[in-house]
Amino acid sequence: MSDPNRWIEQLKRCEPLAERDVKTLCEKALEILVEESNVQRVDAPVTICGDIHGQFFDLMELFNVGGDCPQTNYLFMGDFVDRGFYSVETFLLLLALKVRYPDRITLIRGNHESRQITQVYGFYDECLRKYGSVNVWRYCTDIFDYLSLSALIDNRIFCVHGGLSPTISSLDQIRTIDRKQEVPHDGAMCDLLWSDPEDIKGWGLSPRGAGYLFGGDVCAHFNQTNRLELVCRAHQLVMEGYKSMFSDQLVTVWSAPNYCYRCGNVAAILELDEHLNKNFKVFEAAPQDVRGVPAKKAAPDYFL
Amino acid sequence: MAGGDMCVQLTNDDAQISKMSCIERGYFQDNFLHFFVRRRARRSPLINRGYYSRVMALRNLLYQFLGRANMFPGQPLQVLSLGAGYDTTFFQLEAQGLAPARFYEVDLREVTQRKAATIAAVPDLRDRLGASAAVDAEAGIVSSERYSLLPADLREPEALAPALRAAGLDEAAPTFVLAECVLVYLAPEEGAALVRCLGALLRCAAFVLYEQIRPDDAFGQQMVRNLESRGCPLRGLPGTPDLEAQRRRFTDNAWQRAEAADMDIIHRCHLDPIDRQRAERLEIFDEFEEWHLIQAHYCIAVGINDDRGFFQGVSFPKFPQRQLPGRALPNAA
Repeated sequence: MSDPNRWIEQLKRCEPLAERDVKTLCEKALEILVEESNVQRVDAPVTICGDIHGQFFDLMELFNVGGDCPQTNYLFMGDFVDRGFYSVETFLLLLALKVRYPDRITLIRGNHESRQITQVYGFYDECLRKYGSVNVWRYCTDIFDYLSLSALIDNRIFCVHGGLSPTISSLDQIRTIDRKQEVPHDGAMCDLLWSDPEDIKGWGLSPRGAGYLFGGDVCAHFNQTNRLELVCRAHQLVMEGYKSMFSDQLVTVWSAPNYCYRCGNVAAILELDEHLNKNFKVFEAAPQDVRGVPAKKAAPDYFL
Repeated sequence: MAGGDMCVQLTNDDAQISKMSCIERGYFQDNFLHFFVRRRARRSPLINRGYYSRVMALRNLLYQFLGRANMFPGQPLQVLSLGAGYDTTFFQLEAQGLAPARFYEVDLREVTQRKAATIAAVPDLRDRLGASAAVDAEAGIVSSERYSLLPADLREPEALAPALRAAGLDEAAPTFVLAECVLVYLAPEEGAALVRCLGALLRCAAFVLYEQIRPDDAFGQQMVRNLESRGCPLRGLPGTPDLEAQRRRFTDNAWQRAEAADMDIIHRCHLDPIDRQRAERLEIFDEFEEWHLIQAHYCIAVGINDDRGFFQGVSFPKFPQRQLPGRALPNAA
């Protein structure tokens, strides 16, 4: 069996790869990702997914609902890691699928695919715990720098993790960004990964301290300028799994059910057929008996 | 000891570990908690910020109460902390010269035994109690001029009142009753009985509680399930599912008036905005949707009995809300 097939089999059992395999996998992934555009072209049909956040068993549930890769084409809009218990297995499985089926799966970068954020929100600690060193974290975060920033489906649907940037009015401006770096604290690249839509006019300050809030007029103008019909993004928990805004000019897709094992939300994926017809599929968290929450961490935190 | 009691006691340990996580990150100060907390853990920014919110909101109400002493000179003030766990408020107030005349802490015996043992073993704590202090770690009892620690089962309020009287509680003195995540672990009728017992006993008092609400939406249902599987079911929650029910528990049970607000509102509108902004800059924070959700599922409720106008104006503080100083907005594209 070839390496990528073996890795995929192993990771689908939620078994982390050996450190040397991670290194090889990341080297192969780099060769593919380095060739991708900041606005990666994707053909329909494709199934669009939002945040996963290390919820490995819920990702398996997502594949149950949406179909296996490569039978189904997938576009994941970032935030593969942090928060959940299985960021390592989750990211490496998606990366192994990318190496094995580069034209069948697209991965774009979320704001959590960053050295700084993963040191606060769990991925760094998880790597250290599972491997006894931070080498795997280094390999993975180095790969993060090569992930594309956005995708364009059939020239009509623009997909990005967070949202728009006041410094970006055309897709060509995104294409000129030098993305191969840690997510900066401000500027276009930061905004694409951090911004949020909001029911305001124009631009607003984001409470996140990075990116901006943008209103329906901004979104409509962007879509018109770039001959788009839809901005599709993730980044914000939506209790119903997906949420349309701005007269259907923007949609949020959220794919981590019962986020952090605490929020009680359902998740969704967005299936686009070859004519770009939309079909949202909503799904719940994988049942307790298959998810195997580590016994050590009995329950998510509350204020007690 | 029943397994359920054990799990509820462990919530004390968990809360103190979370508070230590806040202290180590600079959310608030507490020079005494580290004596009680052996295990350290780094909590997520959301948990840190939530404890900050709770501690600051409750401190503010307590300081308002203590500050009213200026208007009522000569009246000794009392604090009564129910299910106090390892709370260090007394020691902090003592160190600042702000301790009230009497400070009572009540918890299950297993907790007061451990707390008394720590106080006995740590000079920095014991010396704060004065020369006349008597610490009986085995009984879980501490008595001193200002501070008393006593074991009691809050499910038996008939026994609580005599025990507090015996420890010196003055029913007529202005009293601040504090219960953080306590009533919610009691059955609704047990919680109501405790509220009624203290309402009947204390003529000039504020009963301030912090606990969960809203068990019925998706987040609330998951919260109920998670805490149940942890062994500490929120037994009281069906009786007080919302702010109105929280207020009514007071007004139906021997308290003259009541108010309640959820923590999402309190954090936004009733904390000192300057300090809040300082705290909000301490850590990277990227859990906004979850933050508003979890905060909306906690509340502070206050019941007041006031025979002399002592609590006039004591309420959730109103701060002038100022614009966040921040980056300039871009011009519309």
